Amino acid sequence: MSVTLVSVLFVAAGLTALGAFIAAWKRELTAALTGLPVMFAGAGVAFVGVARFGATSGAPVLGQEVAVLLAIAALGAVGLGVGLAGRESSR
Amino acid sequence: MDSLHAIGFYVSAALAGVGGILLAFLPGHWRRGLALGATGLGVAGIYASLSAGFAAIIVLVCYLGCALLVARPDYRTVEPAAGGLWRQVGAVGAALLLVALAYAAFRGGSAHATFYGGPFNTMAVARLLFAHDALATDAVGALVLAALVGAAIAWRRERPRDEREGRR
Repeated sequence: MSVTLVSVLFVAAGLTALGAFIAAWKRELTAALTGLPVMFAGAGVAFVGVARFGATSGAPVLGQEVAVLLAIAALGAVGLGVGLAGRESSR
Repeated sequence: MDSLHAIGFYVSAALAGVGGILLAFLPGHWRRGLALGATGLGVAGIYASLSAGFAAIIVLVCYLGCALLVARPDYRTVEPAAGGLWRQVGAVGAALLLVALAYAAFRGGSAHATFYGGPFNTMAVARLLFAHDALATDAVGALVLAALVGAAIAWRRERPRDEREGRR
């Protein structure tokens, strides 16, 4: 059993497609927003995988940097979306 | 990569996939938060098995934060008035895309190519952004996060009743 770049990219594509499915399938907008971190996770896995297996020159930290930024952006996007939805008012 | 890392990779990928599928189909805020947390745990495991430990820690923290936000019981349910049919047609399209990608990954192989485009190169740009100016890039990321959280807090704050009615 081994892990290659193809298997990493397959997992990345699967996560991205799953995130797109969640974002399109859910009727409630705040629930559909949860597809965004899954899509970002797929992109991050692709970056980390390419940096791990495909980088012949340069440090593999380059792809990890993008993955970190994508995770922070996912947190910001979910926070903004939940904030825009607003609280249930007790009227 | 040894077999222990490979097992960790595949188990983490399965956890992330199952978490994503549960996220798509489970109702309720806290269940969705739990599923998103499982997805984040799986993604962090993938990163850790790919020797990206720091990214794994950051991803785990960020996705647990996302899960806590999604699991909050007090935000409003927002549903669009129309367009549900087209959105679900798009969801079926995403599922077909997943099947096509699975077929391509099953039947395809890696291609070797060399890029002679000179300095207009993604590796050069990435090196400039993330190796030479890594601290500045992190600072921009932190700035974006602070701006988004600030906007969210400002929007969530209850306005006085007279101000709400005066703007209508």
